[in-house]
Amino acid sequence: MAVDKRLERNARLMELLARTALADQKAFAELYQLSAPHLYAVALRILREAAAAEEVLQESFVNVWHHAGSYVAARSQPLTWLTSIVRNRCLDQLRRREVETVTMDDEEDGVSVAAEGPTPLEMLLSGADARAVKDCVEALDAGPKQAIALAFYQGLSHSELARHLKQPLGTVKSWVRRGLERLRACLDELGVKR
Amino acid sequence: MNLHAPGRADALAAEYVLGTLRGRARARFERLARSDPLLAEAVRQWEERLMPLAQELPPVAPPTRVWQAILKRTHASTRGAREAKRRPSIWTNLSLWRGLALAGLASAFVLAVALFTPAPERPEGTLVVVLAAQDAKPALVASADRTGRVLTVKALTPVELAADRALELWALPDGGNPRSLGLVSASGVVRLALPRPADEALRNVPALAVSLEPRGGSPTGLPTGPVLYSGPVQRLY
Repeated sequence: MAVDKRLERNARLMELLARTALADQKAFAELYQLSAPHLYAVALRILREAAAAEEVLQESFVNVWHHAGSYVAARSQPLTWLTSIVRNRCLDQLRRREVETVTMDDEEDGVSVAAEGPTPLEMLLSGADARAVKDCVEALDAGPKQAIALAFYQGLSHSELARHLKQPLGTVKSWVRRGLERLRACLDELGVKR
Repeated sequence: MNLHAPGRADALAAEYVLGTLRGRARARFERLARSDPLLAEAVRQWEERLMPLAQELPPVAPPTRVWQAILKRTHASTRGAREAKRRPSIWTNLSLWRGLALAGLASAFVLAVALFTPAPERPEGTLVVVLAAQDAKPALVASADRTGRVLTVKALTPVELAADRALELWALPDGGNPRSLGLVSASGVVRLALPRPADEALRNVPALAVSLEPRGGSPTGLPTGPVLYSGPVQRLY
């Protein structure tokens, strides 16, 4: 999507969220119409059950109706904010389904990701748009790429990834970690160039 | 969960947003992020990085019953409920639903075209002002239809207010004295009458502000107490 069109859609969604915060039913209806098909697709992919995805979508929008005001505080792109709400609810559902497997709790993980990055404002302006993120994911090595895509789109946990990719857990964990580091570096670089 | 190792917080935020942070660790991280602004910011940044990937998925129209269920649940506790009662036809009209259902993609397409085509003159439009405190925390949202004479002001989070105090909303005109728009509620929604249509009434007004005043409002016609919130007037048209 061209940059100005993306900005225009974002401006529209921002306006609709602001009006929804003021209990404007019409704005809420349009917000739903514009964003629900994207969000439903996200939920369907992760939960793989229409009924569960419908429930998450419903819960999410009821939540948006009551808390649209906190959107302003989040300083996010509107679709990012909405997608995050839906994904978090999906992951909560998965959490309830699965036996608890604690995978990120090992303290000795040697993680080294640079602490500094673009400021929120730079992030908003440079706009990590779908195209840039996709390009950066494409640029990853095969293993990390597959692991990150499966985790993002299907909500797979580390152990599910290991089973699915037929790799030791440690390998999969380092793929995810390395992949995320690379992704960040790649996006930072693109952000600078723009 | 040791968050103090270099890069640790960011790496956890990344796995939280990606979804690979699971189980108890996820719940614990969520709790921590609620009270730690730096962690919350790391999460926000990772959401901005990763969520655009979701747009790669082809949209799927949800069944109409989802929206109907949402409407049913959001009607119960709001101003909208009263409006809906006055104009029941809008939300209960079956043919509207049938129309919406049938229109499906077509209407989304029309809407998209309408949104992305620069309209030479859009009659409707909104003025929105997010009034935030010094720490950038938004406290109130004011909005008006461009051609309307009502400014709706809503408190996002209830403000603690002594019984003998009031919050007064001011227009801050370019190069002029603040002009009172009226008193606003510390916890609910207030509708203030404007002397002229909003875009006229707020012409040359780049910002609004809220000051703390004695009960009944400023006795002088100008702000007498501290300015608690302010924000730029955004013209969305």
